[in-house]
Amino acid sequence: MPAEWNRRELLTAAGAGAAALTLPGRARAFGAPSMLDVAEIVIPGTTVHRPGAWKRLLFEVIQTTSVEASPLTVQVEPEDPALFEHPFSVLVGDGPITGLSDKGVQQIERYLSYGGFLLIDDVSGTGQGQFADSIRTLCQRIFPTRPMAPIPADHAVYRSFFMLDRPVGRTLGPGFLEGVSTGPTTPLIFCGADLSGALDRSPSGQDRYPVVPGGTHQRREALKLGVNLVLYALTSNYKHDTAHVLELMREGRIE
Amino acid sequence: MTDFLLGGPMGSAGTLRWGGSIEGVILAALLGVIAVGLAAYSGRHDRTLKGRALELVGWTMAVLVLIISLAEPVWVEASGREEPGRFVVLVDGSRSMGVREMTGSRGRQAQAILEDMPTGADVYTFGDDLQVGAPDDWTLGGSDLGAALATVADRYLGQPVQGIAVISDGLDRGGLRAEAMDPDVTDFQAPPLPGPVTFYQIGQPQALQDLAVDEVISGGFAFLRTPFILEASVRGEPGERTTVTLQREGRHVAEEPLLLDEEGKGRVRFEVTPTRVGRSAWEVSVPVHVGDAVPGNNSYPVVIRVVRDRTRVLQVSGSPSYDQKFLRLFLKEDPSVDLVSFFILRTHEDFGAGWNSSELSLIAFPYERLFSEDLSTFDLVILQNFNYKPYFNRDADGLLTNLANYARNGGALVMVGGDRAFDLGEYAGTPIAKVMPVKLGVTGPKVDGRPFSPVLTESGKAHPLARLASTPQTSAEIWERLPQMDGLNLTRGIKSDAAMLLGHPTLRVDGGPMPVAAVREVGEGRTMALMVDASWRWSFSEAAQGHGNQAYLRFWKQALRWLVADPDDRRMVVSPSKENVLLGEEVQLRIRVRDAGYAPVEGQSISGTVVGPGGTAESFEVATDASGEAVSRFVPQARGAHRVLIQAGTEAKDQAESVFSVSARDPELAEIVPDGPFLMRLAEAYGDLGAYRAHGDSAAPLLDPDATRQVHESRQTALAASPLLAILFALLASGSWWIRRREGAR
Repeated sequence: MPAEWNRRELLTAAGAGAAALTLPGRARAFGAPSMLDVAEIVIPGTTVHRPGAWKRLLFEVIQTTSVEASPLTVQVEPEDPALFEHPFSVLVGDGPITGLSDKGVQQIERYLSYGGFLLIDDVSGTGQGQFADSIRTLCQRIFPTRPMAPIPADHAVYRSFFMLDRPVGRTLGPGFLEGVSTGPTTPLIFCGADLSGALDRSPSGQDRYPVVPGGTHQRREALKLGVNLVLYALTSNYKHDTAHVLELMREGRIE
Repeated sequence: MTDFLLGGPMGSAGTLRWGGSIEGVILAALLGVIAVGLAAYSGRHDRTLKGRALELVGWTMAVLVLIISLAEPVWVEASGREEPGRFVVLVDGSRSMGVREMTGSRGRQAQAILEDMPTGADVYTFGDDLQVGAPDDWTLGGSDLGAALATVADRYLGQPVQGIAVISDGLDRGGLRAEAMDPDVTDFQAPPLPGPVTFYQIGQPQALQDLAVDEVISGGFAFLRTPFILEASVRGEPGERTTVTLQREGRHVAEEPLLLDEEGKGRVRFEVTPTRVGRSAWEVSVPVHVGDAVPGNNSYPVVIRVVRDRTRVLQVSGSPSYDQKFLRLFLKEDPSVDLVSFFILRTHEDFGAGWNSSELSLIAFPYERLFSEDLSTFDLVILQNFNYKPYFNRDADGLLTNLANYARNGGALVMVGGDRAFDLGEYAGTPIAKVMPVKLGVTGPKVDGRPFSPVLTESGKAHPLARLASTPQTSAEIWERLPQMDGLNLTRGIKSDAAMLLGHPTLRVDGGPMPVAAVREVGEGRTMALMVDASWRWSFSEAAQGHGNQAYLRFWKQALRWLVADPDDRRMVVSPSKENVLLGEEVQLRIRVRDAGYAPVEGQSISGTVVGPGGTAESFEVATDASGEAVSRFVPQARGAHRVLIQAGTEAKDQAESVFSVSARDPELAEIVPDGPFLMRLAEAYGDLGAYRAHGDSAAPLLDPDATRQVHESRQTALAASPLLAILFALLASGSWWIRRREGAR
């Protein structure tokens, strides 16, 4: 359960201000290999490269959570065994997936079966179209008996760090995430709202794309969704543990 | 005079029988003819014809008398008379017949009935077998009336039997009663008997004063930390009030008042929550009043084996990470694990990110409750890259002491490496450091961030925790191919009583490799230190190579199993051959000893003690054989819980214990209320050939007047030995000789 200070401690810490600075610094002892990073799966002609989005997300994770992350993005082809060095991966696209070999499909299947997590982001922001259709076809190849389906509103991904009512990205999207669940975990999640579009920034720090319909709140919610996806990838259904659920119900934050 | 001459009185209705052999008679006849011929031939010229003829006749008759005598004539006179058939008495000799009632003992009642039986009756005593004669005492095992009746039927097959009497309290244990009284059996047929049978009821329920615990239902085992029910059935006087007490190994646990119903029966339920695995002896009892018929059945001992249905694991992580993710996945997917996780998702440093608390899905870390009142509910605590200082704001020393004591008292504690663990978690000098397998307090760098491949040590090759395959060779090969670690927490080496399973290939400390994984048995518990934070690579990177994640799963499964070892899975185990033993009955104490690699230890000297109720102790010494086993025998002399303690050394790992319960509870006396309805039912099954005599009714038994038997007699008079034949032979022989000499022959 989680991981927070209670209100009294929070107020004390906030009031003390400088006292928080005296807390032990993080040694980051074992270096980058043990830290969270993002692997962008590259399928030439299909996928979109948005390292700025993931750098922003990882920076937010570092600032907001206790997760030790390295704000690095590596590009990995589906057939590359190096994929297994990065348990958190993303696949961003805007058109039909072509050129994905059987070996690549098999490796992704093994990657997801043994604990990897894959976020698939639809640049179209609709959750429909050729890319979405290709993803559904790909999921059928990887999980023949488990079709991709909408993720219910009480799924742990909506409360893995922030309480989320609706997943949004650059667009409002379909209003829900989709995914493939194996037992209690969901190793593959499909976002139809172009999450990376909302997060992507230029080297000068400017947002690359305007959010639709717009507003700071939407981009902020998109960032919260990104953090939740990272935390979900690391803690899976932790937020469904009994102790957690009971406490959140007691506080009236969930029903 | 005639009787004298004939050798005895002889009636006219007799018959003559010959007893001699025909060969003897023929031989005697031949010799007689020769003798007569010689007598006639010799001196034939000296005698007159008349004289010779008389002599010859005399000799011939004398020889005839001799031949008749050798033929052994017997005069046989036959006669006969009618007598009544046999009468058989079966007396119940089982121990329930020794019960004392207010009107006297049942045995005495049986003796009184027996004295009224017909003279000359064939008396048998039955219990679990049949013995000839009346019972001397009442010590036989469970009475088997069906077998006794069947034996009588066989033994008197074809003989006229005037009657059979059965003297019993009706407490048949052989199955006949169960069948006769089974309401589902509509065509009950009594065993066939050779004559009418009368059942004499011994004992009466209202004369019996016996408060007893008839039964305790427990199931024999229970799950750790899960309430289980001990349900006791109590019997006594209708409407009687009593108190039922529950004890655990002589210590009072609970008591419940009880009002018996109109049938004198009642039930009590005790709910108990076991807090330790292993065997424990419980006893349900009721008070023993003066005059209680069977004091031995006022208590009912039962041994309960407490097992884990699931291993309850507390995983506390200071930061979500790949290592934490894969360990949680493993624990969560294991159906034998009940996992409680607490992950620190946000620290002080993250408070400035600008998020409103109401947006967060976080709850407070209940560290005080976890590491105090809840701690004993866990079998295993995993501190995974967790630093306590920022969170243990109140009574940090007390909470760490709780955790250390938890390990010493039988809990399992694991610390997994990372930038918040070991010396980086500032555990040096804390109570936790005292129970860890490694020495903390490193001066200088506390980590080494260079990738490396752990090396299996000699201890690691033998220890079950590090065994990744069925053979040591394959296991070592797997360890060699596993992916590199990203670095490790540095320590000052392992403690003297710890075992290093994995070491660093190049770094050295305290004269040996820098520890990577180490274990220790501390007090009654076990601890493990894993100084890396990338064991997840044994799963994920292995899978990339097509090896699957078996190495990772096996490592952590073995770790769980070793860390939370049940008493029956420890290196030293003692097991009594029976858990519930009768007073005076021998119990075998089987001992098994294994080494750190779980191989049998031969020749290990074991000192043992059996501690009985009240602290009485009896010691024994044994040594293990080639299979690492030894047996000691013990005959308990006191009722109550007996705890067996064995030791081969002073440390907890070299000790073991178990428990068995001794009772004076005689199974034959578990039920002592006489069963008149059964005997009545049995009598009814024989129709006119059966009768039931209630308690105190000593009326004569049923008799069959037509069951008579013919008694044959005969008188034999041996004529061969009669004086008449001797006299005749003497007269004829001497007369013939006189005639011969008178004629001048010699």
